[in-house]
Amino acid sequence: MLEGTSGDHPVQPQPRQGHLEQMTQGRVQIPCSMAGEEDFVLEEKRFKQHCEEFVKHSQQIGDGWEWRTSKDLGDGYLSKTHFQVRNRHIAQDLREKTNDNIEETLLAHVEESLDDSQVAGVCTTEEVIRYEYHVLYSSSYQVPVLYFRACFLDGRPLTLEEIWGSVHACYQDRLQEGPWDTITQQEHPILGQPFFVLHPCRTNEFISTVLTGPWKHNRHKNYIILWLSTVGPVVGLSVPLSYAKVAPEQNSSTDSAESSSASSLPGLTFQYFAYLPYFAMRICAEREVLGHC
Amino acid sequence: MTDDKDVLRDVWFGRIPTCFTLYQDEITEREAEPYYLLLPRISYLTLVTDKVKKHFQKVMRQEEVSEIWFEYEGTPLKWHYPIGLLFDLHASNTALPWSITVHFKNFPEKDLLHCHSKDVIEAHFMACIKEADALKHKSQVINEMQKKDHKQLWMGLQNDKFEQFWAINRKLMEYPPEDNGFRYIPFRIYQATTERPFIQKLFRPIASGGQLHTLGDLLKDVCPSAVAPEAGDLRFFMHCTHVAMCSHRIYHLDKGQVKRDKKEGEIKSQRGVMWLVPGHTERMPICKRDTFANTFFGFANTFFGWIKVVS
Repeated sequence: MLEGTSGDHPVQPQPRQGHLEQMTQGRVQIPCSMAGEEDFVLEEKRFKQHCEEFVKHSQQIGDGWEWRTSKDLGDGYLSKTHFQVRNRHIAQDLREKTNDNIEETLLAHVEESLDDSQVAGVCTTEEVIRYEYHVLYSSSYQVPVLYFRACFLDGRPLTLEEIWGSVHACYQDRLQEGPWDTITQQEHPILGQPFFVLHPCRTNEFISTVLTGPWKHNRHKNYIILWLSTVGPVVGLSVPLSYAKVAPEQNSSTDSAESSSASSLPGLTFQYFAYLPYFAMRICAEREVLGHC
Repeated sequence: MTDDKDVLRDVWFGRIPTCFTLYQDEITEREAEPYYLLLPRISYLTLVTDKVKKHFQKVMRQEEVSEIWFEYEGTPLKWHYPIGLLFDLHASNTALPWSITVHFKNFPEKDLLHCHSKDVIEAHFMACIKEADALKHKSQVINEMQKKDHKQLWMGLQNDKFEQFWAINRKLMEYPPEDNGFRYIPFRIYQATTERPFIQKLFRPIASGGQLHTLGDLLKDVCPSAVAPEAGDLRFFMHCTHVAMCSHRIYHLDKGQVKRDKKEGEIKSQRGVMWLVPGHTERMPICKRDTFANTFFGFANTFFGWIKVVS
């Protein structure tokens, strides 16, 4: 999700009161106007094109993404590595904690006073974690999929529990509803090594709601940007606002006034806030939800 | 699918005699005897080796024991692959029993997924089932099932209950009568020699003209280099079935009929491995082995599809 205000976008739908509740229970009630719309299928060719566009912009702003092609079959994936510093107010190994404890501890970090010595048995350490993110295409679900791995500087990889614990507080509710359906360790389909994966099975649900009906105009926007800016922050990956400026595909039905300006971003943001059945929705408009854990 | 039931049972109850030996550098308080076990082909190593773990932990100190992992001739065994696949991929040419080495230290983080509990195995198994149904039915069948049906699939696998499992799985193996097959075939082609773990692509069972595709068609489409004449003769395994490949098509990827012909097309059972000799009018040699002998052909939702022989 990208930070922004609700903006002055001319065509801004207001969800009905009960609608949001329905969606946060994990089942999507798609409004009748959307039922029967065709599935928005991202074909592999289009995936590659959008990745190319994405990488071009990344190069312009120094965001660190690159495309890697596999030698044997010619398919490929997006890749980015970055380092993140995390403050820890815990002394013991996270592995022993349940998800509840982890969330408590992380939130305590926000509420705590600066005087740590008041809290018995806890010290502050800074840890540097190396994150590697890959975006691959899933032919089974016909959507992009986010793979990632994380390790400390000494090479020790993070455990699944540590990864669950590092998911931003905004998404902890949804994660705890079904951690095994959300983030698990899997074999990377091209490299054959263990990675963590954000499960793709619900991607189509939320992507199709921002690409149909009143938001059909989003179809000419870059799918990777739409998708990654929504799912990335869940696992600590931020997508700078600058990507909103990426020019959409040339399309005769494009409304040029609305598509080329950065002010279309706030509208997009609102749409995401309104139609994110995938994650439990707590509107974090005040906070910069850009993956700082 | 009632005709296929005995084939399905043969696949389900396929076993591999295995000998587990503790790695020599593990620190023990006394000598560790090897442990013998009949491993089910249709399961996962970490699901069926509790007894193995207990056996070796008896001779070790608590502090010397961390996450168990298995290795064959220096290769860490991926527990998330079906046992039958692991055997066919790594050890099908060696004498039985299959010799697996057991480790409790130095978990190979770069090679193996962690498996700290049965939940991990269940999550993986269900993810495979779901992905296969995404291909077969656009996820409609799996999503219409209730949670208890999903649980029944898992419990059936975990407790080795064929009827319990297939009561639910048969729904995943059906398609509407007006269609002639699944939307796409869930399959993966494994090779032991590549970095890429498997080849998986979209492939429809019906050609645009309405005729049924064959295994040969799929292989030509998905890994053409493997079926090029210069590749020599190849051997393909499907679950526990050695499928002979010849220039005359013969196989349908279908809900599965196996031709039981007394002469050709005879099903032989050998050391728990089913060998299928194709029945056809022209005499074709059974394929000889070459570098592709380790290619394993299986279904993405693991071993629940089958092959049809057409003469």
